[in-house]
Amino acid sequence: AAPSQHRMWPLAAWAGLGLAQCSGRRGQRRVECVVFNEEYMTCMWGSRETLMANYSLYYWYENRSPVVECKHYLQDRGISVGCHFNQSEIIQFEPFHVLVNASLGGKTLEIPSKRMELQDLVKPEAPVNLTIRNMSNNQLQLTWTSLYPRPQCLEHAIKYKSNKDTSWTEHQVKGDVFSFPSVDYEKYYTFYVRSKINSYCGTTQLWSEWSVPVVWGSNSTSKGTAEEPLHWFWIHTVLIPIVSCLLLLVLVVLLVRMERVWVILMPRIPNPSKNFDDLFITHKGNFQEWAGVPKDVMESFKPNYSENICYVSELPPKDSYEPLWEGSNHPPSLMPGALAAPREHSPYKNSYVGV
Amino acid sequence: LSHEKWTVRMRFTFFRSIFRVLPLLLVLSPVNSSSCAMGNKTTEIRAKYEHILSHDVNELVNMSAEYRDRCCKNKKHENSKVFFCNDTQEIESLQSMACNMLRFFHKQKISKDFRWKAALVSCGTLQVLQCKCERHKKEKVCIQINTHTKEDTESSEQFKKKCNQEFCELKENISSLRSCWNKFEKMISR
Repeated sequence: AAPSQHRMWPLAAWAGLGLAQCSGRRGQRRVECVVFNEEYMTCMWGSRETLMANYSLYYWYENRSPVVECKHYLQDRGISVGCHFNQSEIIQFEPFHVLVNASLGGKTLEIPSKRMELQDLVKPEAPVNLTIRNMSNNQLQLTWTSLYPRPQCLEHAIKYKSNKDTSWTEHQVKGDVFSFPSVDYEKYYTFYVRSKINSYCGTTQLWSEWSVPVVWGSNSTSKGTAEEPLHWFWIHTVLIPIVSCLLLLVLVVLLVRMERVWVILMPRIPNPSKNFDDLFITHKGNFQEWAGVPKDVMESFKPNYSENICYVSELPPKDSYEPLWEGSNHPPSLMPGALAAPREHSPYKNSYVGV
Repeated sequence: LSHEKWTVRMRFTFFRSIFRVLPLLLVLSPVNSSSCAMGNKTTEIRAKYEHILSHDVNELVNMSAEYRDRCCKNKKHENSKVFFCNDTQEIESLQSMACNMLRFFHKQKISKDFRWKAALVSCGTLQVLQCKCERHKKEKVCIQINTHTKEDTESSEQFKKKCNQEFCELKENISSLRSCWNKFEKMISR
């Protein structure tokens, strides 16, 4: 049993290694190299959790030096997971090749890599010394320092947010200055910057880490966190309107109940009926009586009213003068047109009544 | 020896020595002297590259990536030396790459759009660096590029050529040219 088990062990190990490689190929296991700020480089091929064998790395530059083994392996709990390259071992703009050998039980498998150009694998250091200056017209100017040896080969990205914003805003700049156009002095701003090799000096998508942030503005709340705007939103849009409506309702109810206040706000329409109580009650609607109209005037308005006629005649100047008839209550009745022809039977011949 | 014989001998010796020096001077003189007029004007070259030429280079690289290149893997080219961007000789390397790239302009196996764009970038590189090619015939291509407009006789989708050796070589040339420009930019940005 023991010899058979001994024979089975390499087979099992190779089966495991083969499975690991197969799963690696299916999962596209490959060597990933990154040049950090052109100071050193690491080429990683996995982690302790996924690796089982002993690994060794060989590299060479096309048409240059011979194949060289890694001088400084990166270990993770006894397993090689990567290789560290010094600055002197990094040559840009030369095709770079890497070959990783996985050995287990005396057998070796190769993990090839694609041809690489190291200038396209540069990851610069994050910018430092972020500084904000107040400029005119409510502008802010953000500046920083790059630790990368060739700052002209960099492009940058700025990320900022105020304490009243819910998401970050990002801008791309080519120089090392960013102007923030209009700032609100009641807000609290936070700025981050990161860098990347620009397209003139390489072809890479490796951004640096975000810098240490710089802040600006009034910090009236204890901490300008993202949840605070949400809190204020609920207060402003829900609580305050409801309280206002309730308060208004209470005031209206009070107004209606307190007649003294209500009368001032809503004065009553004047009712002059009291002034006419004497007319309607004492005189029983007799307006003339109430107004004090004289009786003879009232009589004159009657339709069967008749008035005594007073005769008037004119005495000729040459004829004898006869005494005037004065205020007689019994003058003879005068018919229309009777003045033109004096009556023979009238004792008052050619007489007139003076006024 | 008499004085006259000594004098004659010295004359022969003198001329022999001169004649030996002359071939030596010819050997030592730089055969491939740079024919680029913008050698020291790195600021001006940089401005022209960044503002104008880099866009065409990027377009050419993107165009190159669209074509099938399965036949190009693991192939070594005869003119591999042309694809080197030598240290401290970036301008000369760019000149060599640009001049080499012009010869693909008449290769019928390569898509016309692609050939035309490659020639445009080559001529642009030579113009920015103010370089001439050793074989002056190649510069006739630039005259044709500058004076004639390309006739749209084919669409790039319909007439994409099959992968072939010449295409692979042109693709490598383009990659090296772009890489050499990057190296030049990095070198002058210190």
